[in-house]
Amino acid sequence: MTTGPARPPARLPWFDTRLPRMRGDITWIYLWGAPLRVSHWLAAVSLVVLFGTGLFISFPFWVSAGEASGHFLMGRFRFVHFLAATVIVFAGIIRVYWLFAGNQFERWPALWPFTRANIGHMGAMLKSYLTLDPKIQPHFVGHNPLAQVAYTAIYVGTTIMMITGFTLYGQSNPGGFFFTIFQWVPGMMGGLQGVRVVHHTVAWLYPIFFSIHIYLAIRADYIERAGVVSSMLTGGRFVASHEKFEDCDLGDHPSVPWHTGEHPTWVKPQ
Amino acid sequence: MFLRKAEPWLDGSTLGEHLEESGVSRRSFLEFCTEMAVVLGLGSAAAPSVAKALETQKRPTVIWLEMQECTGCVESTIRSEAPTIGDLVLDVVSLDYSETLMAAAGHAAEKARADSMAKNKGSYVLIVTGSVPTKEDGIYCCVAGKTIRQHLEEAAEGAAAIIALGACAHWGSVQAARPNPTGAVGVRDIIKNKPIINIAGCPPIGDVVTATVVHYLTFGRLPSTDREGRPLFAYGNRIHDQCSRRAHFDAGQYVEVFDDENARRGWCLYQVGCKGPATYSPCPIVQWNQRTSWPIGAGHPCIGCTEPYFWDTMSPFYRRLPNVGGFGVEERIDTIGASLAIGAAAGVAAHAGMTVLHQIRSRKNMKQLPEHAPASPEDSNNG
Ligand code: HEM
Ligand code: HEM
Ligand code: SF4
Ligand code: SF4
Repeated sequence: MTTGPARPPARLPWFDTRLPRMRGDITWIYLWGAPLRVSHWLAAVSLVVLFGTGLFISFPFWVSAGEASGHFLMGRFRFVHFLAATVIVFAGIIRVYWLFAGNQFERWPALWPFTRANIGHMGAMLKSYLTLDPKIQPHFVGHNPLAQVAYTAIYVGTTIMMITGFTLYGQSNPGGFFFTIFQWVPGMMGGLQGVRVVHHTVAWLYPIFFSIHIYLAIRADYIERAGVVSSMLTGGRFVASHEKFEDCDLGDHPSVPWHTGEHPTWVKPQ
Repeated sequence: MFLRKAEPWLDGSTLGEHLEESGVSRRSFLEFCTEMAVVLGLGSAAAPSVAKALETQKRPTVIWLEMQECTGCVESTIRSEAPTIGDLVLDVVSLDYSETLMAAAGHAAEKARADSMAKNKGSYVLIVTGSVPTKEDGIYCCVAGKTIRQHLEEAAEGAAAIIALGACAHWGSVQAARPNPTGAVGVRDIIKNKPIINIAGCPPIGDVVTATVVHYLTFGRLPSTDREGRPLFAYGNRIHDQCSRRAHFDAGQYVEVFDDENARRGWCLYQVGCKGPATYSPCPIVQWNQRTSWPIGAGHPCIGCTEPYFWDTMSPFYRRLPNVGGFGVEERIDTIGASLAIGAAAGVAAHAGMTVLHQIRSRKNMKQLPEHAPASPEDSNNG
């Protein structure tokens, strides 16, 4: 490749004039480490499966006819529930590791966004969602604080689900590992039925979260055009050089093509 | 006394001698010991040592205090169509004091108890049924001019061990259920300095009581227990894991209402509120009334009567999940949860529609910039 004077951008006969394009000094920043992304997708799949199978366990709406020996319907649902439970535990272990090894947006202090400034930002986010006006929306490199509250709630909820779930699971093998390490749980929740109620009630957190979260992720991508959804796949998103962020000052960042390998991989804390 | 015909077991004579006097054959005694060894989880090989330990046993002193209760536990313990050898062993429990079973009454009965307690101080076994009312200084249950709490404290003082028989004695059972008008509590809430074993159930199975007494006589100590104080040999496993209907649970075959076809087929009672998944009890194995049947066997869901505070924690009995704060979880929580989930999805759909309309409108007005225009804030400011 020869290096010459900057060439005009390639022209595509139709699109160029009709579609609005993002212009300017745009760069790709690497935000979400691979462990975060892996744990995100493991959690996404397993939590959907856990909610679906849990629903069946709590209300077995299909009844199978004939000899019991010919069927294993509840058995299968429970098996898949427990299989997904091991996956969510695995995802949780990765996420906890990354709470200590990740960047400033992934570390444990990020889980608690309730600073005075952030509470104001939450109000602004809410207002922007309600008025549909993206111009009044504050910008963040990482999660916006409202989203962070939802993620923290999901982490807390999932911890509760794991503790109550493995307590119930342990009952089939009294004296066994899970039975023994979670012996303190039934006493705290007013017996095994209390544990079941907690497990059953917290489960409703998930369908509420699923639709809002997926919607807002896709919506942010649609409005901001910063590649936010793919940030959970590739790890990075786009930022424009003049864009002001509330959670971080990106400073001067010349646009460097990704393939040169000189992209900024870290962002300075404010 | 359970066996009126039997000779009284005299102070100082061993159980072996006593059984011989009562005309019990060696063979049936060994059969009984084998059965007890099995119930206790020792295996039939342990039968000879159980027999040996029992035979040489001197008559122990047992005081049975009946507090705020329904006598259901006494009923269950002595329940037998034909007197069994277990009753003979249990004979011991009736002797010194038991309001329901003893022949003496009034001052004579009180005196017999006081004498026996004084004479055997530190060595007698105290069996307790019923709960202790604590409100209004415990006046809700008085015997011989004293509150039952005073009786309990006096009797516990010199006891070697306490057997809390039935849900009342450990957790207060129905009397302690919300709103617990008498302030009923179990023995363990009053007596803190004695070993207490919890023979849970409302009422417990008679054989479990017998086996616990046999264990005490054989080994000179109470059997090992779980966190709730229940003997592990009986309460070590969940109903759900020993249940004869479990195959139907795993297959996905449930009774949906009590008189449906599935109920006739003997399918699993999970959906009509069975608490077997949360209950530890030997009912499916030991069964009731000389192995005649047991609740789930007879088509009724388990109500969880061996679990702590079961009237509050296990009710409503015909629903899977308990009431919380006075309302049914399955109804309310599921209604609220499902409404929120559906509401969130509907809200998301509406918001998405409006967002798209809004974006289409505002993008129409967006400035078209000339090619090679320098970057400017509006340019990439989407919106
Ligand atoms: C359905 C189950 C899902 C769950 C439980 C879930 C959960 C989460 C959590 C906990 C985070 C925060 C990660 C962290 O920083 O700790 C997150 C972030 C994210 N998720 Fe999901 N997710 C799910 C599905 C999805 C789907 C289907 C998409 C894609 C459309 C998606 C896109 C994203 C994006 C883009 C972010 C980063 C958003 C931001 O910067 O605020 N998620 N998700
Ligand atoms: C975090 C997401 C999870 C969700 C949404 C979920 C959902 C549910 C639901 C709705 C039930 C039915 C509760 C009832 O009405 O009795 C259930 C049962 C159960 N869950 Fe989960 N669960 C989750 C995680 C787990 C985990 C991590 C475990 C660990 C092993 C677990 C183990 C169990 C067990 C043992 C049962 C009872 C099954 C039975 O009684 O046969 N769950 N779950
Ligand atoms: S535990 Fe139940 S059966 Fe026993 S005395 Fe109390 S109420 Fe009666
Ligand atoms: S009847 Fe009750 S204990 Fe038996 S398998 Fe069904 S739920 Fe479990």
